[in-house]
This record gives sequence, structure tokens and C-alpha cells, in this order.
Amino acid sequence: MEATREIYWNVGHGVVWGMYLFAFIAIGICAWGFWTRLPVYRQGKPLSRLDRLPERIALMVKAMLAQSKVLRVLDPGALHALFFWSFALLFIGTLLIMAQADFAAPVLGIVFLKGAFYKLFSLSLDVAGALALLMLGGLMVRRFFVKPEGLQTIRDDYVVQALLFSIILTGFFAEGIRMAATEIGANPQLARLSPVGLLFGQMFLGMTPAVLSQAHKATWWVHFFLAMGFIAAIPYTKLRHIFTTSANYLFADLGPKGALATINLEDESVEQFGAASIKDLTWKDIFDADACTSCKRCQDRCPAYATDKPLSPMKLVQKIGEIARETPEANLCQSIGEDVLWSCTTCRACQETCPASVEHVNKILEMRRNLTLMEGSFPGDEVRTAIGNIEVNGNPFGLAYAARGDWAEGLDVAVMESGAEVDVLYFVGCYPSFDKRNREIAANFIKICNAAGVRVGILGKEEKCCGEPARKLGNEYLYQMTAAENIELIKAYGVKKIVTTCPHCFNTLARDYQDLGLDVPVEHYTTYISGLMRQQRLKLSPEPFEFTYHDSCYLGRYMDIIEEPREILKQAGGQITEMTRSGLESFCCSAGGGRIFAEEKIGSRINVARVQMAKETGAPLLVSNCPFCLTMFEDGIKTGGVEGEIRVRDLAEMVAERLAG
Amino acid sequence: MKILVCIKQVPDLESRFKPDQAGVWFSDTDLAFRMNEYDEYAVEQAVRLKEQLGDAPELTVLSIGPDRVVEVIKKALAMGCDRAVHVQDPAAHLKDPWQIASIIAAYAKDQGFDLILTGMQSQDRGSAQVGVTVAEILGVPCATTLVGFSYDGGTVTAKRELEGGLKGVVKLKIPALVTCQLGLNTPRYPTLPNIMKAKKKEIAAVPVAELLKSEPLAITTSFHAPAKKGSGLVLEGDIADLVTRVIGILKEKTAVLR
Repeated sequence: MEATREIYWNVGHGVVWGMYLFAFIAIGICAWGFWTRLPVYRQGKPLSRLDRLPERIALMVKAMLAQSKVLRVLDPGALHALFFWSFALLFIGTLLIMAQADFAAPVLGIVFLKGAFYKLFSLSLDVAGALALLMLGGLMVRRFFVKPEGLQTIRDDYVVQALLFSIILTGFFAEGIRMAATEIGANPQLARLSPVGLLFGQMFLGMTPAVLSQAHKATWWVHFFLAMGFIAAIPYTKLRHIFTTSANYLFADLGPKGALATINLEDESVEQFGAASIKDLTWKDIFDADACTSCKRCQDRCPAYATDKPLSPMKLVQKIGEIARETPEANLCQSIGEDVLWSCTTCRACQETCPASVEHVNKILEMRRNLTLMEGSFPGDEVRTAIGNIEVNGNPFGLAYAARGDWAEGLDVAVMESGAEVDVLYFVGCYPSFDKRNREIAANFIKICNAAGVRVGILGKEEKCCGEPARKLGNEYLYQMTAAENIELIKAYGVKKIVTTCPHCFNTLARDYQDLGLDVPVEHYTTYISGLMRQQRLKLSPEPFEFTYHDSCYLGRYMDIIEEPREILKQAGGQITEMTRSGLESFCCSAGGGRIFAEEKIGSRINVARVQMAKETGAPLLVSNCPFCLTMFEDGIKTGGVEGEIRVRDLAEMVAERLAG
Repeated sequence: MKILVCIKQVPDLESRFKPDQAGVWFSDTDLAFRMNEYDEYAVEQAVRLKEQLGDAPELTVLSIGPDRVVEVIKKALAMGCDRAVHVQDPAAHLKDPWQIASIIAAYAKDQGFDLILTGMQSQDRGSAQVGVTVAEILGVPCATTLVGFSYDGGTVTAKRELEGGLKGVVKLKIPALVTCQLGLNTPRYPTLPNIMKAKKKEIAAVPVAELLKSEPLAITTSFHAPAKKGSGLVLEGDIADLVTRVIGILKEKTAVLR
């Protein structure tokens, strides 16, 4: 007997008309649901996110089908991915049935669901159904019984779980009843290829054909209407993520990480800077709220959330959606809360991990721009003072600008002037210029360059703050003022290459200054040293030490420089013990986003939390690569009460102590 | 109502001061400049009064000095002043408080200002004389070191900071002059739209010669760092030992324990 089955057995082929009618209605309700959401997105400003379309489509297909973003966190990403693949297979199975029964057979007279292919089809769908059920069970346990911290459960979760469970179960029941009536007895060989159906079918063996027929019809229709309900419910429940999250992969930001729109300050027609209301954000910012699946991965990684500050990146994104839908006229910053907005360290852990390609950070920065540029607001008076100091003296400490180059006295460094012969310009930044502890970074970097025979120049008292903290606090005006002065100088001196020891300066000069006309290669000292070592210009004599390493946000997540610093430290004799949160998953030191100027008044201290993580590795030494991090960790070691148990040092110090010869 | 705020551009106090060539004031080299702190309180209070009165008053800001003082004038305009007067004087730093007050009074006398606000003193010269002298020349009442200000129906109620933490409240009928002290208010941070608008506001330039008719009464004869007398001493070590050493030093070098 040929392996196949009668499609529409018992219900009869006549159901197709009703079936298609209801399917169209369900699809119509679904489409209507999305259609009515379009005006919500349209409140936002225009933004082009369909350029480089082939690249975008490829990214979307990969993220969807391979579940690559979801799987970056295996628990519960694996459950979701397996459920997705199973459900997708069941969907394909349904499409095959439709193609076979409603098109291929009646129109073309072709039967393809037969023989070996039917066997494969039958077995795969059964396995897929079973797997989907299992994964759903796992997800249900996580959702309702073993709840992880911070998981929000709403009406949608009950609806979605109930729908999916009942769709799969009724499917198996319909199959089981059909098999009890037509297959288990007549073709036990074939029945074995539907193992789950066989299991369900056992329950119905021995019932009369009339009862089976009635039961099958009822189950079939229930299954059908549940499936239609599923389709119709998509835009009205969290199920919408099937479309919105996929679309968000298509709309993803393809620019350099952390790129922020440079405001045109010359345009006098602009009267609103930053986002005061929902219409000042882009449509994508609003759409992000619909793409969010509430998976809370961002929240789990947010240093502000972890230390009891009012910010949760997830809730912030969802709040924007809520405002867009319900109170679009509302004052955005006040509705969300200034404390929420000022809590962000722009560490980008949220955005890096987001499986839905939501862009959290720039939303916060656009709202901060409104607070700063339109309302003259600050997270605290100490920040106001620091900003005032940058305005007057070009550094947040308020120290004499003329003293900026004093750290280099007695060192082999040229202070730039026209025609100065140097290989690289060292853009020192405020902390290595003025802060006593951080001056060690500067001095040791020079020592390293001297050993490699690199001629280094600095701008000395002409250098100004790169403007990064001001920019991240929303003060685009001050940022562009100091940036313009730095750029003019760098251009005037005909600089060919810039090296920074600060990842914040690095990002700003390498990426942000491009918008303002600087086009000189910029490198962070870690990759620069790595290059010197590769070229054999710099030789180290390794001396053993045990350490753990902190990836600064602006070097790791923003610039993807993760391996080079570890390799340098290894070659210097270091034996690394990694913290759980390292690399792209690193936990911020608390100083990003201009928070270096701000007192941490709410919740516990982020730097203390990070120092504690370092201490837990058992390593006696924490190595960092950023002046802000060094500052925060020196402080965190003291205030966290682990003095004497762990020290913090900069990579430059470790290397400079191990120079060969 | 017409309001005048007088502001001065001063060097940032963290700067490195060196005497100028003549040795009578500091040299401009390597100095960063900003608005005199007390004058910021004056500007802020004037802007708040303007806002209180529904934007009706016309608010003029005046500064005397070389071209660089336009920077602080712009800041005052961005904070909310309506128009500005720049009394151009490259040698303002050589004028004594009497001359500076005379210049301001000469400008103000025919303008009919109802209220004049100044800082209580400048951060660089620190004479605290200019405000009161202007009031004296113009013959208007004056209250100094304001830490509180309110205005109602032609009367200024001024809370003054006195010695020893005491406060005094005085009432003045306008026209009047007040000088502002730390604690009066927190000056606003200019918003970007206001910075943009400030660029278009009028800054009237008046050569100092048109206003200055008087000779100095006090002449600065020398500017120098104080002579170094002795040096600090940092003690380190065991606390008990430190106590003994401190007592020893106090007995030996001071009169406190005798």
C-alpha cells in the first residue's frame, strides 16, 4: 500500500470554502491590527532604514531562520529557537497540505504527498509537534513557575501560551482520532511514522466509527479555529513580534556602533533640539517598542538596573511605545523621568545583547539633548560645575588650561608646533593630563613609545576635552565647540596619525569627529602597542603575574577590541582569570555617558559591584584600559573595602614595566 | 521698567597668575576668562524679575573692557538680557573702582533705569566698591550682599548677608541699586535656542573716552605674589607619636599652649 493519507478525511473537501473564508477573515483581522498601528509609528520623524537592502535582507533572514541573536543566550534562547524551528516546520507542513489538496491535486492532478516523501513529512511533523510541545512546556515552567528575576508576565502571556498549547494538542488529537479510524489497524507500518499521533490514537481505539467521526470533526474544527485565532491575535498580543522583530532586523542600524546624529547648529530654522515629545523621535524609535519582546536581557545586563537605579532599558523602550499610543502629546522626559534618563552610563550592554535589534542608547541621548539644550538641566550641580569648567578651561576639573601639558615635563615628547616631526599625535585627554593617578598612564605610554622608537607629539595646553562626556550628557553645543577647536589644531599641524589612551577620546576622534571633518586615522593604544609588537619594534621581557581583565565599554562593545589587549598582557607574562562578565558582556565601571562627573546618588555603587566581580576571580590584580575605569576602580576598591585584596592597574603600566632591554 | 545689569569678565581663579610687564596688574597670557561669579547672580536675578513681570522690563547688560569681554556679554544675552552695551576699554584693568563706577554712572544717568544690579564684588580685584559708588553718584538707594530678592509694586525687598551668619532685610523704593552675593540664586544654564537668539541681539559699542571724565583716586603701584614665609609641614607615622610631635610644635612655635 502506498504511504499517503486522505487529506480532508472525514471533514470532506467541501470545507475548503469555509476554511479559506475564515482564513481570509483571520488574515484580514491580522492585517488590520498592523494597519492601525502604522499611524502610531508615523508620529516619529523620518529616517531611512531601507538603504543597502540586500545586506539588510541577508541579516534579517539569518537572524530569523538561524535564530542567531536569540541563541546568544542559551537559557531560554534554545527553547525559543527549537520551538521556532518546530513551529516553522509545522507551518511548512500546513502549507504543503494546502498546496497538495487545494492546488496540485485539483488543478494539476499531481500527488506529491506520498511514498517516501510522505513518510518523511509524517515523521518530521510529528517530531516537530512533540518538540514544540516540549519547548512550550519548558517556557511555561519558566514563565509561571520558576520565574527569573525581573520577568514581566501580562495577559498576552496567558493568551499566547494557551493558544499555542491548544493548537498543538488539538492537532495531535485530530491526528490520533484519524489514525485510530484509518491507519493504526489498516497500516500499522505507516502509523509508526507518526509516533505522537499513534500515542494519541491509542486513546480512541475501540470506539465506534460514528463516535470517531463526530469527535474528529469537532477536534478538527476546534484546531482550525484556534489556528485562525492565532493568526488574528498576532498584532494584538506579544505574538506581533513574529513580524515586528523580524522587520526590526531589516531596519537595524548598519552604521558604526554608537553613531549619534550630529546636530546642525548652523541651521537657524531648527527650534527644537533633542526629543521633547514623541514626534521628536524617529519612527524607528517608536517601532522598537513593538519589536521588543520583553525578554529582559537588556535589563539583566544594565549596570544601572543592577544597582537599584530607576532605569530599565526594556521598560524605557516600552514606555516610549505606550506614550506613542496613548498620550502622544505628553512631555517625554517627564513621563519617563529625568532620573531614569540620567542613570544611563551608555555602556551599550542593552543594545549589544538585544535579540530584537532595539536601539536603546540613542533614545536616551536624544532625550538628554532636550533636557540639556532646551531646559538647561543637569543630573546634579557637580555636573553643572564640570560642564562649566570644560567651557572655561577645556577640562572638567577646572584646572588651568595652561597646565594641561605639565605631566610631560622631562619626558621625551614634542609639544606640537608647525613643522614638528612626529610619528603620532598622542591625544592625551583630560584624565591622563590632570589626574594624578591617570598621569601614570600617560607617562608609561610615552615610555613604551620611546622604547619602540616612536616620536610622539602632544597638543599640550592647546588640547581641549574631546567633548565626549558633554555630548553623552546631551550637550551637543559644547561638544561641537571643543571638537571644532581640536579638529582645527590637528589639521593645522598636519597630523598623520592619532593615538589615544582613553577609549572615550578614541571613539570620539575616530568616529564622531568624522562628521565634523576630521579624517585622520585614530587608534587606541592597546591596538597600537599590539601593532608595534607584531612589527617587532617593541619587545617585552615577560614577568609572570596573575590578573583579571576589564573590557571597557568603549573599547570592547563599541569598538570590538577584545583580544588584542589580552594578547599583550599574555605576552607580558600575564595569567588571566576571566570575570563571568567579560568581552561583549562586560559590566560597566559606571563612568560612561558623562556619569564620570556625576555623584552616584541613587542605589548602590556600580564601581563597587564591578570591583567585587573582579575580586571574586581570586586574581590579585585588575587590569583596565581606560582612564575612566581606572578612576572608578581605584575608588571602588577603597569604598568597597577590598583594599589590600586587589589592585587596579592600567595595561600601559604593566607593559612599561616589562620592556626588554 | 528698565533694568541694568553690570558684569565683569574675570580670569578663572585656577589660572596661573603672573605680573604683567609694568608690574601693576596680572598678565593676560595663559589665562582663561569667565563671567564674574557674583555678576552671574545679578544677571540671573534680573532675568527672573523680567520673567516675573511678564517680560515687560527691558533688560540691558553692560560690561567694560577689551574685545574679549563680548564673550561674557553674549552669555548674559543668552541667559535672557535683551540688549547689551560694551564700553570698549583695552585698559580697563588699570582703572580704579571710582573710574569704573563713574563710567557706569555716566552711561546710566540719562537712561532712566529703575533698577541696577551688580555683583557684590569682582573675583579678581575684589574691591566691592563699584556698585555702591554707582548708586552714590546716581543718588539712588543701595543694598549690598543680597542673598534674597523680591519685587512688588515699585519696592525691592532685599535680604542681606551680614557678619556672623546674620541676615538683614531692607526695603528700597525704585530707582535703586543692589549688589548680589553667593546664595542669592543658581544661575541658569543658557539653552541652545537662547544662545542662537543671543547672536542676533544688539551689542552697542561705546568707546570709553565718551563716558570717562574722571581721574583715578587710587592707583595700583605694584602687583606681585606674596613673599614666601615658611612652609607647610606634613607629619606622618603613628597617631600617638603624631600627637606628641604636634604638642611639641605648638609649644615651641606658637603661643596657644602657654
